[in-house]
Amino acid sequence: MILFLPTFAEPQHFSFFEKLLFTGLVLASAYGFWRRFGLVLKKILKSKKDPSFHLFPIGKRVWDFVWEVLCQAKVIRERPLPGLAHAFVFWAFCAFALVTLNHCAVVFGIGFLSPAGTIGRLYYYFAAVFALFCAVGIAGLFVRRFLVRPKWLGARLSWESGFIALLIFVLMATYLASFFIADADPSARTLWWIHTLALLTFLPIIPYTKHLHLILSPATVFLSRGSFAQIPPLSGDEDFGLVAGTDLTRLVSLQAYSCVECGRCTEHCPAANTGKLLNPKEIILGVRAYLNDLGPSSDQPLLGKYNQQEAVFQCTTCGACEFQCPVGIEHVPILVGLRRGAVNTGAWEDQYGSKLFLALERGSNALGISPAERDKFIQKQQLPIFDGTQEYCLWLGCMGGYDPKGREIVAAFARVMNYLGTSYGVLRKEKCTGDPVRRLGNDLVFQQLAEANLEALAQNKVKKIVSICPHCVRTIQEDWKEYGTPPEIEHHSEFLARFADKLPRSTTTATNPESFVSGHDFSHAASAPNSPGALAPEVRSSPVPAPAASHPVPEKIVFHDPCYLGRYRNVYDQPREVASLAGELVEAPRHRERSFCCGAGGGLSFLGEETGERVSHVRAAELVATGATTVGTACPFCNSMFRDAFDAKGEGAPQLLDIAQLAARGLPPGEAS
Amino acid sequence: MKIIVAIKQVPERDAQVRIDAAGKWIDESNLQYALNESDAYALEEALQLKEKSAAAGGEVVVVSVGPERVGQTIREALAKGADRAIHIVCDDLGLRDALGVARLLAAAVKPENPDLILTGLQSEDLGLGQTGVIVAELLGLPHATLILNVEKTETGLKVKRELEEGWFQTIELPTPAVLTIQSGGNKLRYATLMGIKRAKMKEVRQLTAASLGVDAPPVVVLEHVALPQKQKSTQILPGTAKEAAAALVEKLKFEVRVL
Ligand code: SF4
Ligand code: SF4
Repeated sequence: MILFLPTFAEPQHFSFFEKLLFTGLVLASAYGFWRRFGLVLKKILKSKKDPSFHLFPIGKRVWDFVWEVLCQAKVIRERPLPGLAHAFVFWAFCAFALVTLNHCAVVFGIGFLSPAGTIGRLYYYFAAVFALFCAVGIAGLFVRRFLVRPKWLGARLSWESGFIALLIFVLMATYLASFFIADADPSARTLWWIHTLALLTFLPIIPYTKHLHLILSPATVFLSRGSFAQIPPLSGDEDFGLVAGTDLTRLVSLQAYSCVECGRCTEHCPAANTGKLLNPKEIILGVRAYLNDLGPSSDQPLLGKYNQQEAVFQCTTCGACEFQCPVGIEHVPILVGLRRGAVNTGAWEDQYGSKLFLALERGSNALGISPAERDKFIQKQQLPIFDGTQEYCLWLGCMGGYDPKGREIVAAFARVMNYLGTSYGVLRKEKCTGDPVRRLGNDLVFQQLAEANLEALAQNKVKKIVSICPHCVRTIQEDWKEYGTPPEIEHHSEFLARFADKLPRSTTTATNPESFVSGHDFSHAASAPNSPGALAPEVRSSPVPAPAASHPVPEKIVFHDPCYLGRYRNVYDQPREVASLAGELVEAPRHRERSFCCGAGGGLSFLGEETGERVSHVRAAELVATGATTVGTACPFCNSMFRDAFDAKGEGAPQLLDIAQLAARGLPPGEAS
Repeated sequence: MKIIVAIKQVPERDAQVRIDAAGKWIDESNLQYALNESDAYALEEALQLKEKSAAAGGEVVVVSVGPERVGQTIREALAKGADRAIHIVCDDLGLRDALGVARLLAAAVKPENPDLILTGLQSEDLGLGQTGVIVAELLGLPHATLILNVEKTETGLKVKRELEEGWFQTIELPTPAVLTIQSGGNKLRYATLMGIKRAKMKEVRQLTAASLGVDAPPVVVLEHVALPQKQKSTQILPGTAKEAAAALVEKLKFEVRVL
């Protein structure tokens, strides 16, 4: 059947002059390419080696490469339409590799893929399908960029992108057109030359523009740090984080040059979405501009002209940016690296930050409260003390030990454990895990806390920990590794989900929820609450159904995914399973991997008032708009942020309960600990 | 300006203190130590004075009396920015009275010829509030206590003292002088990794009572130490709400004396 289809036309003989011209053009194009690309490569290679980088185990790298680069999975999943269009352009490029090689080879009479042969013919049709989709795709992308213009792409119109789109379109069009003429037709030669010129123009443009990602991003994805939001250890006595150019590592430089300026990171960033200075895309481009202007050997500070200290300290380390980035850029280590540079050298001056650091230099908890208060709580709740015989060490954390609402969560979780007959105990003394100082970049205090805790756990012969706080879980399991081997740890959602079938479902229904009194010890009390008009645009219009007190309504629960449980730990189903013990689940528009931060992470809950809108208010409004009667949380920090947001809202705010409290609801009364 | 800051290492604020077997001092095993709070403010004042007159040059030297463990606190002070340190090593700090400690400090400080000597108002453990003043006396220098703020003037110093009930007093005095610093006058700086690394290279000179030629027996002898007795009693006030409230007011006024 394929015999009836048209054959791809290819000029057969090239004159000496044509050969000479072609060779000259190829050399010029390659020179243009290398002039810039060689420089970029040199800057990357001249950057400091990544001290903790290991190529092995390689399996995950290969998988990421296949999934994210070859399958374009991330590109498509997060923005389906433009993602698919992009994928077709990418796949067409891959399919065209062979065609292009042959295209150049025929000039010298050494073509290897004859369009007339069976294999060649099949291959050309195969490529033609991609060419067709690619042409449509690139046209679509052109329309999006220049006519639709989503705001994430920035205000500046990128003419080079338009030109590149045109070149790609010409490449595809000339290829497709060649099927409709004969070899001998003079227009076959014309098409060949247009195709060639487009190709040779395209090549040198690549390294001068963001299309550099074409070459770099496969390497960036393959050479990632190995796990999500991983903060690399400092190396040697002169490493204080990212202070100057000399601190930029090869991975950071490679990533900075790989950015394709798509703005996905910024689109999902809670700071950028609430009117703050921070814009993760600009952070990456700031590092790139630094490298372009000063290079990796400069001792000029990284913060100042190219990136702002203020912006860097507005990051909640929610990881949405890193999760979204299609070219494998790891924002969190870069942002935390810049903070480390500022804090470890004392350049960051912040009233609240200093207070937190001093509290943890001298005391045991981030809230700056006397540990006697924790002892009192343990006594009052009759929590057993860990003595080495119990299975679990119940880690309270600062919130669980000192924050009134956090304590309620611990109490509820203890009730459930008692009901299940689990043996557990709490440590007599506990220090903050160091999560807030770690994310704020204070390596000195973090090390002190990690080492003291590791020692205490070893002394008490703790084998397994369970905690109600995803920040504690993350910090103990991943960040402490720098200073020792932490015991096994899990989040209470994982524990509870394992026993979900042993827990009674609660039959209670929600009535009109009362408003909650804030027991927040470090609330930003001085600030005025946001007006309802300040809600996120996408949720502003949804009315909140206020359940009438006299008519019990079936409990509708919306679960908010904490960043440190979801994106950081990949735990999404377990807390939902637990929450569904107490009612019917509904989902917020942004959930699971796309969950929107509560605003507390990265140590920010301990810092002063936010500029712009409060992240917590935006998220709280989104949760309220689902019409749920209860908001389920799985992190005491999220809980405290929403508590404040709902307090500000006053009447009609939904109930706010941790999944432990939801799980404890169905327990028979009198099961007190 | 050369500033000496006398600092003391005390049990950490969160420490659970136990009395030792002899009942003469606290059990020091398993205790965590930290820099005495008002000394931290004295150090901060010194560092800020030095930074303010950075052009004129200056030096901040910390001096501390105590056993080996005090080295840790000295390092922290160096990490925050002190230039060098003098450690008067002595293992029987608990047995020395304020005069004994002041003699050691004065002997170590004297050859330094400082322009200013700062120390905390009092220690968090013994709380005598004497040491700084006695050092001034021994060195024959003017002194002022309860200082919140120090300003360098043409002729000497202008300092702000904290009096009772929100009153302040501003006085001037010549240098060299001794000031004991009240907590809260400044914002403390946090310790940094860079500071700790740099501190490793700074000089810590170790002296002893013998090498200073100061070894007099204490004039005040500590008899014994005891934990405060815990007293807790609950009374239920009977009667109607009104009667109970009246009885409560009565008790608050005349028994507890808080009204
Ligand atoms: S981690 Fe979150 S807050 Fe920080 S830059 Fe990325 S998206 Fe924004
Ligand atoms: S950092 Fe990643 S997500 Fe952000 S603009 Fe660059 S390529 Fe896009």
